Amino acid sequence: MKADFSGLGIRHVEPVGWVFAVMNFIFLLCAVGLGLFLVVESVPVLRSEGWGFWLGENWWVGETFGALPMICGSLIVTGLAIFLVLPVALSGALFTSEYLSSSIRRRVKGVMELLAGVPGIIYGLLGVSFLTAGVKDVLNLLDGNTLFTAGFLLAIMILPMVLTLSEDALHSVPSEFREASESLGLTKLQTALRVVLPQSLPGIVGAVLLGVGRAMGETIAVMLVIGSLDRVPGFNFFVSGQTIPSKLGREAAEALGSGLHWSALMGLGLTLFVMVAVLTFSGNLFIKRSSQ
Amino acid sequence: MNAITAEKMVLALIGGVTFLIVALLFSILGVMLAKGLPAMHSGFLFDASRDFGRSGGIFYQLTGTLMLMAVAVLWSLPVALGSVLFQTEYLGAGKFKNLLTQLTYILNATPTILFGLVGYIFFGVYLDAGVSWVTGSLILAVMILPTLQVSIREAVEALPEKYRETGMALGLSRPTQIWRIILPQSFYGMVTGVLLGLARAAGETAAIMFTATTFSGIQFPQLFSDPVPTLQTHILVLAQEAANPESIAQAWGAGLVLLGLVFLLTLAAWAFRTRMVMESEL
Repeated sequence: MKADFSGLGIRHVEPVGWVFAVMNFIFLLCAVGLGLFLVVESVPVLRSEGWGFWLGENWWVGETFGALPMICGSLIVTGLAIFLVLPVALSGALFTSEYLSSSIRRRVKGVMELLAGVPGIIYGLLGVSFLTAGVKDVLNLLDGNTLFTAGFLLAIMILPMVLTLSEDALHSVPSEFREASESLGLTKLQTALRVVLPQSLPGIVGAVLLGVGRAMGETIAVMLVIGSLDRVPGFNFFVSGQTIPSKLGREAAEALGSGLHWSALMGLGLTLFVMVAVLTFSGNLFIKRSSQ
Repeated sequence: MNAITAEKMVLALIGGVTFLIVALLFSILGVMLAKGLPAMHSGFLFDASRDFGRSGGIFYQLTGTLMLMAVAVLWSLPVALGSVLFQTEYLGAGKFKNLLTQLTYILNATPTILFGLVGYIFFGVYLDAGVSWVTGSLILAVMILPTLQVSIREAVEALPEKYRETGMALGLSRPTQIWRIILPQSFYGMVTGVLLGLARAAGETAAIMFTATTFSGIQFPQLFSDPVPTLQTHILVLAQEAANPESIAQAWGAGLVLLGLVFLLTLAAWAFRTRMVMESEL
């Protein structure tokens, strides 16, 4: 009997091929299972809270679970990080791509890529030791563990990644564009800003979206400097707060595996997963479009 | 002010910003060295920690981290290799293949703590592994799967088409082609993937802190159901004792070791990647 998989585009498969197929199936299970488990496990809390899960302001274990403080915290901290990182990363990318010689450029990129891999716990340690005290003294606050501190730390953390990906986008603009522009009498800076930058915009947007995704999901570094206080922060960023991952990091060990509390944490996880998946999907779409 | 001065000023500004970025990142390394080196007394790497991490070394934390990441790669490599070979050698271009590629990207970007949450439910509760190093290594294995897949796929897809054509012209069956041509030729890609995967697993804290690790009580796991101390959790616990200078000093030492480990693995991965690029250009 010969199985027909023409619908899936699978060619004829020998016995060894079945081993590979099983491995591929395991991968598929891991990816789909992740999403599926998040949905299934958050059903109890969604059933008991309904839409109120995302709109409620109070997270009282045993009584009510409202995710709004964490959702707001995540959005604020990520927004702050992007706001801080964008001008810096873009300047750096523009200078690296358009003005540095190729050997120095390669070295700068190497350093950036190495630093993009520094573990979150290291940033957490640096944040706890220097940043919280610095924020407290400079801004004259009672407590240095604030939303702003977390946003600032995340900005430093995603800087290498955003810079190197946007630099890729700038550098992939064909040199004919630059030559044509300079032969028309535009200066190098005008060329960079008016020709190269607009051409590479989709790639830069993609780079930023991937950076946002990474910032939104960071747990450890944020957890150590944000102060872990559940409240809807309003527009004051210099108070303690909470993000979805920091909440998960703080409470996962207490709720471990059972009860409505665990289900509520899985609901938070599902919310985070959807937010990050949308960001990543659109980020990759932009990068793909820019590289075509 | 004419256009040329304006241009020079903008140039000086973005050049200065670039310099500051590089300086900031080097100062991070400088701080790690300045704070971490004083903790490195002789035997820091080879003594057990004492007094709840306030003195002694980090031997069992280091072995715990190494063990988790090595076992994770053992789980992950066959799945990554098999799935990539299936996707590149058996699966024609189409919607299913695109879907699998998208899944790799999404898995790669998923916040790591979610692997911890879901992994605990699946491995810890349903498969009854509990809070243990087995659960942790399985969770890390899923987490680094996309890292390995991307590296291996890059290597396999970079093979010149003529290699496959030559294989076909010699009448090799597909398994023979894979065994004799594709695997040997993409070996460096595999090594790169493994090293990058190890680096990623070594730096991960969130996914294992409540599913696999312990701060004290266990030195080296004796059973499958034992949790394990790791560098990451060690730093996490010590960093939160900010009032205690001895704890913080030990945390810096452990942090420097962890950072060194991650950098070494990444640099080794790059060395192999360069090798791979050179071979494919022959």
